[in-house]
Amino acid sequence: MTVRLDTGVVRLDGDCAVEDAETLLALLLDQPAAAIDLAQCTRLHLAVVQVLLAARRPIAAPPGDPFLRDFIVPVLARSPE
Amino acid sequence: MDDLLPHFLVEARELIAQAEDDLTALARDGGDGAAMDSAFRAIHTLKGSVAIFDMAAAGRALHAAEDLLERMRAGTKTLTAADLATLVALIDQTDTWIDAMAQHGALPDSADAAADALIAGMAGMAGGSDAPAAIDPTAPAPWLEALLAAHAHALGDGALVAFRYRPDGDCFFRGDDPLAIVAAIADLRVLEIMPATDWPALDALTPFDCMVTLTGISGAPLAELRRALRFVIDQVEIVAVAPPAPARPPLSTAPAAPAPPRAAPLRVDGARIDALADGVGELIVANNALAHLADEIARTEPRVAARIRAAHATLARAVGDLGRAVSDVRMVAIGPSLRRLPRLVREIADALGKSVTLEIAGEQTEIDKSIADDLFEPLLHIVRNALDHGIEPPETRRQAGKPDHGRLTVAARREGDAVVIEIADDGAGIDSARLRAVAVARGVLAREAADALDDAQALRLIFAPGFSTASAVTAISGRGVGMDAVLTVVERLGGRVDISSIVGQGSAIRLRLPLDAILTRLLIVRCGEERYGIPLDSILETASVPSARIVPVGSGRACVLRDRTVAVLSLAALLGGKEPTTPPEPVSVTKLLVTQTEVEPVGIIVDGFGARIDGLVRPKAGLLAHIPGVAGTTLLGDGSVLLVLDLPVLIA
Repeated sequence: MTVRLDTGVVRLDGDCAVEDAETLLALLLDQPAAAIDLAQCTRLHLAVVQVLLAARRPIAAPPGDPFLRDFIVPVLARSPE
Repeated sequence: MDDLLPHFLVEARELIAQAEDDLTALARDGGDGAAMDSAFRAIHTLKGSVAIFDMAAAGRALHAAEDLLERMRAGTKTLTAADLATLVALIDQTDTWIDAMAQHGALPDSADAAADALIAGMAGMAGGSDAPAAIDPTAPAPWLEALLAAHAHALGDGALVAFRYRPDGDCFFRGDDPLAIVAAIADLRVLEIMPATDWPALDALTPFDCMVTLTGISGAPLAELRRALRFVIDQVEIVAVAPPAPARPPLSTAPAAPAPPRAAPLRVDGARIDALADGVGELIVANNALAHLADEIARTEPRVAARIRAAHATLARAVGDLGRAVSDVRMVAIGPSLRRLPRLVREIADALGKSVTLEIAGEQTEIDKSIADDLFEPLLHIVRNALDHGIEPPETRRQAGKPDHGRLTVAARREGDAVVIEIADDGAGIDSARLRAVAVARGVLAREAADALDDAQALRLIFAPGFSTASAVTAISGRGVGMDAVLTVVERLGGRVDISSIVGQGSAIRLRLPLDAILTRLLIVRCGEERYGIPLDSILETASVPSARIVPVGSGRACVLRDRTVAVLSLAALLGGKEPTTPPEPVSVTKLLVTQTEVEPVGIIVDGFGARIDGLVRPKAGLLAHIPGVAGTTLLGDGSVLLVLDLPVLIA
């Protein structure tokens, strides 16, 4: 499972594909305060990034993957509240 | 002037082939800058060359094409399918004009009119168009200004290119991941992902609609950026930021694309290589005589015999290497042999009122030049047959639920010591029942014999001389004398033809040709008192198994080898005796030669294994020609003739 809830934090692990956007959205609606853990994440489909941008959750753990770290995390940080 | 013409003809064909390749690449990817540049250079060079000869019409047409391509390179015109069709027509026409120059030394009278028509077609394409992917070197758009301002610190050095990618809202449903495409852009410096409007509340979010625009800046060259975005180029704007590096280097310098430097080829008269090949063959035979000498004096002078044998072995290795090196020199890429097919396929398909796409694969596969030279005619005939009898007319295809255009593929690949060329079509297939009926009707076979054939054997009836099932003999493929001629040529080249077909789905014809046309690596095996040569290419492995492990199974025998059950046949039986039903003579160990058939591996019992040699295999001729299972003969050192066996035929 690439999207799951782990003690109040939403973890995105490995490659997250387009279908995961729906799972993520459902989880975030269910857990209004959950932060996002990207530590084990290697890839995010744009649909998943859209959900993250719209939800504006804090990043509990940054990703190791260079592209995610250098480009996606800053984009998430800049997303207007 | 006469001296220059042959050279020009060779060069022109190569340039036309290059241009065809480039136009094919552009058909797949209109943004392929390297292909566009290469096509431009080829046409430009052609234009220059034809100027030396009396080919004014060709010069005019090529000049117009050159202008068209230049406008596309400069970005003031985008490439459309109509443009490509016109350029392809121009290249085809030029190819036909080259034929005329080759045959008559002059262009046909129709050349001027044809050139005018082509030029008019290209002029109709004139005028720039406001394409999304055009480069605009004037004032930056607002989105770009904002991007540059917000990320001024991250821009870095060097020339920059910016993009604005607005994916269609339903792009996810098409399987696109715009982020993955952008992630593949080299040297990305800046990335922004912005929603088109404010984000909806989370519970109103539709996650599978693409709602964002991606903008970014990269330090990679413009061509690379276009390449990375080529599949979505209609959704992208690309803008050069800093003054771009000189867009096109002058033609007199090296090409823009970093192609690996190619060693200047040497043009060699084929006859000289043939002489080398003959020389190698003679060396082999002479060397084999040494081995025989050693045997002769072994009893009286064992030490000298041993040294002669050692010398023979060293020479054999060296001559084998030399033979392979000479073969290598004669190796040419098969591409040029296939080059003339696209135009001919277009012409034949048009004449038949059919629409066909031709795909060629494996053009880099290397093949002996003598085989390449002789291959074109049979290939063309097979292709003609496929177009004529295989691919159905568009209406018939539509009714069968197939796409309107038929698909013809010609693919070459290397398999071990052979080159396999497969010509496949997605047409009507070949009905083996109909073949049987025609064979009986024409007296080729009696009814019982025809019925006794299995489907695979029935398909091979098309190779029988005088066989034609075409209800109307068409001008295109002639009177059905073709396929047996194809078989003859391929067998003369030392090869084999296989055919498979599924009614309603299509057919495939496979030509299997030897890679090394000079020497064949053979294993000598003993069977009773006789020796035979088996091409190493057809041997999977050799094994010695305890005789007890070969057990009767059904009406035959089998044994287990490496956890696989392998059917066991005896070579003696294959060569004309009967397969023994009792276990073999009480020999404790049975020697097996394992070969691969179409279905499964098969073990063949031989009485002993001999030496591995490189032999010059001469195709069977005369009386031998009618013995099935014999591929040819080679001369051994003691002057005797070794029969070289064709295992797949023997086992079948």
